[in-house]
Amino acid sequence: MVRLGVCASFAASLSLAAGSQAAFAQGDANAGKAVYELKCAGCHGVKGDGKGPAAELLVPAPRDFVSGIYKIRTSANKTPSDQDLFRIISEGMPGTSMPPWSVLPEKDRWNVVAYIKSFGGDKLKEPAKKLELPKEVGSSEASIKRGKEMYEAIECHKCHGTDGRADGPSRSELKDEWGHPVAPANLTKRWTFRGGHSRTDIATRIANGVLGTPMPAFLDAVEKPEDIWHLTNFIVSLGPDSPQNATLVTVTAMTEAIPDDPNADLWKKIAPNNIPLMGQVIVDPRNFNPVIDLVSVRAVYNDKEIAFHLTWDDPTESKGDGKATFPDAISLQFPPQITAGTERPYFLMGDGSDAVYLLRWEQGKGVMEISASGPTKLAPIKGGEANGKVVYANGQYRLVMKRPLAAQGTDRPTFRPAVFTPIAFQAWDGGAGETGTKMSLTSWYYSRLEEPKSSRKFVIPPVVALLTLAAMVLIVRAARSRATNT
Amino acid sequence: MRKTFVVLIAVALVGSAVMLAVGPRLAGAQGGGTVEVEVKYNGAPVVEKLKVNKDVEKCGSETTIDKVVVGGNKGLANAVASVPGAKGGKAVKGMIDQHGCKFQPHVVLMTPGEIEIKNSDDILHNIHTYSTANPAINKAQPKFKKTMTEKFEKPEMIKVTCDVHSWMLGWVAVTPGPAAITDNNGVAKIENVPAGKQKIEVWHETLGKQEKEVDVKAGQTTKVSFEMKGK
Repeated sequence: MVRLGVCASFAASLSLAAGSQAAFAQGDANAGKAVYELKCAGCHGVKGDGKGPAAELLVPAPRDFVSGIYKIRTSANKTPSDQDLFRIISEGMPGTSMPPWSVLPEKDRWNVVAYIKSFGGDKLKEPAKKLELPKEVGSSEASIKRGKEMYEAIECHKCHGTDGRADGPSRSELKDEWGHPVAPANLTKRWTFRGGHSRTDIATRIANGVLGTPMPAFLDAVEKPEDIWHLTNFIVSLGPDSPQNATLVTVTAMTEAIPDDPNADLWKKIAPNNIPLMGQVIVDPRNFNPVIDLVSVRAVYNDKEIAFHLTWDDPTESKGDGKATFPDAISLQFPPQITAGTERPYFLMGDGSDAVYLLRWEQGKGVMEISASGPTKLAPIKGGEANGKVVYANGQYRLVMKRPLAAQGTDRPTFRPAVFTPIAFQAWDGGAGETGTKMSLTSWYYSRLEEPKSSRKFVIPPVVALLTLAAMVLIVRAARSRATNT
Repeated sequence: MRKTFVVLIAVALVGSAVMLAVGPRLAGAQGGGTVEVEVKYNGAPVVEKLKVNKDVEKCGSETTIDKVVVGGNKGLANAVASVPGAKGGKAVKGMIDQHGCKFQPHVVLMTPGEIEIKNSDDILHNIHTYSTANPAINKAQPKFKKTMTEKFEKPEMIKVTCDVHSWMLGWVAVTPGPAAITDNNGVAKIENVPAGKQKIEVWHETLGKQEKEVDVKAGQTTKVSFEMKGK
């Protein structure tokens, strides 16, 4: 009897849990409408056709719910599961304008799921069928190797590029279901994957494809089903999990000569400072959809020179035709003189009252020292002493820019150790039509040259310790002698 | 007497079973006719030429997108002539090949059911369909997957592309009744069309649709001509 009671209460609690989930999962489309019109219609449109007032500025374009085409599905058919929609609403889509809506109560999000499904009408009448992934294979050296072989055999590189940097030969031809140009994913930047970057997420995208885009389903197109997991393990091996953004650019002190070659061994030994870049949206023409979103900086100096090694992904090496495309370029920005205090020139390449100093590389022109008093007011500095070397391979630039530590005149800074020096970045993907104010940029950061390497740090602390000890001994003695005197 | 009656019935049953099995073949002889459709186009052909930037050894260094092909005597090729009112008839399995980075043939005819999709290029293609009545598919077909089979169960004109080679364009015409595709002279012969008044429909991928009614006579060829207008 007792056992029966326990069973009954267990069953009751189970059904209660299932019940509440089902209640949520079904959602109330009418209640969802109010939330949708307040929070979603700005981009997705009141009619759900993806034509809200903000839509034309957004790349990728907001989802057109009327089409019933959803990119991110764990279902084997067209209809996504409610959980798929709920997840995208809650977590957003990295690398797009879709933010996570976890601020909304869970119930509201389920109601929105019900409402956006109603836009699809008959197109979503077939219930979602769960995609069955092949049996999971953990990561190992052998699995990654097999994944790489398969990556080449099934020609992922046609779009995603040899090293996964989205620079494949079909890149420029890709269009989505609505005829908008669409870029392949950069597989070395997993944090930008639209549907998440867990191993299951990646395997699901490979197996299932991304509906409405050129990415096809590969579940039946690999040699053996488990190749889906080998491919996943290979993709995971291509880059870090997160961008690990830096807050300070540390310039490492060294005593040896600094190599010009961006592929020299030295640069592999220095930890990168990863700096995120944003599109310039302050002055016209603006850049709402920048290509370059990250620059890795490695910086060193010795007693004569300072050098910056920059690595950034750019799917097209562009010298520019002057009409639709322009030369690729990148700039490091500093104040013309490094002064104490927090006063700095306007971060957007200076202005009429305060110029900035730029260490700039441009395709076809090389490294230059420039004085800028606004984003389009650039003047080369006479007697510039900067030089450098660039290499481009498989969708990535690597650049070394070098300059003497000390500089003459008022328009070029002298770099000094242990001084916090403002630094900012600008980059242009000329192949995507970026030039002038159409750029990616950062606000001011700080860089700091490490103290020169010397033996002083091994000498000074023990000396200080000894002096402190001596002082303590003296004080104790003095106190004692005073005590005996009284 | 009774025995002969049973035998007669048995013979009739077997006979009708045989008729059912080979029925479609005999349909023409049994009252179907042939419709010879001639499609003309007065405008200029639309064939885009472009340079190939990859897989040159398979695709050639130049290729074309055949949007409007006009042959001899202003005949319009690649138009689908069908009889929407006629149901049943011979089942036709679809067959399309990706060869030389083109869909061959440019327009494939099939009755609802299966289509065999070949890749004889030894490089990656993807079959990307733009269908609404049938489930839209986008499946990779890498070099080692020589053939795959898909199902299109609903009548529809389905656009097929390959995203790897964006110039590749093909069409699958899923038609339930008798149909044919115009040749380079703009002529299509639809066989086994049931006798009587029938609507003949002509469809072209860029020039749209036209309909005409014809009187089909059993065992005879009826001619009908269309003139498509540019859009």
